[in-house]
Amino acid sequence: MARVGLGAAVKRQSTRPPERADELADVVLQDHTGAEVRLGDLWRDQPAVLVFLRHYG
Amino acid sequence: MQLHRDKEKFDEAGARLVLIGQGTPRHAEHFIEDYGLDGMQVLVDPDRRTYKAAGTKVATMSELFSPRIVAKAAKITATQRLVQGRTQGHAAQLGGVLVVAPGGEVVWTHLAEDASDNPPNEAVLEAVHAAAERA
Repeated sequence: MARVGLGAAVKRQSTRPPERADELADVVLQDHTGAEVRLGDLWRDQPAVLVFLRHYG
Repeated sequence: MQLHRDKEKFDEAGARLVLIGQGTPRHAEHFIEDYGLDGMQVLVDPDRRTYKAAGTKVATMSELFSPRIVAKAAKITATQRLVQGRTQGHAAQLGGVLVVAPGGEVVWTHLAEDASDNPPNEAVLEAVHAAAERA
């Protein structure tokens, strides 16, 4: 995909809200302590609100 | 995005509030220290794999800096005394919010259309209450 300054997209993109979080469930990310977290475990027993930050703040 | 300011309300609603950022664990640690977010779960995804899976988009220059968006950001700064934190990672990557119910169904989303597009906390809380009732 062609990009210009700041990594901005050249053509306007569309958001693609997923119907299920299956693709996310098996992803393992580190937390702020370096501990590994499997995302699917977050919503195993309760609803989870996943906030994707554009920036820290 | 200021949902972390309402963490207690999400706790009361029985939902787990998790922030995902682009940097390293060290960046996330600074973020927690800077904003006094002890107890908040902050994950890092330097490859932005989860951003893609969540359906977020990368902004064009006009979606980052159009006069309307800059004016809206200035208004938020003035009225809510919020300033944008440090941009870490891919500067044009936009964010979003997913509410996932037990079982994996995505029951509510707000994916940013431009740099100023954040959902009101109340709307997210309402979605969480609905999801908790279904659980």
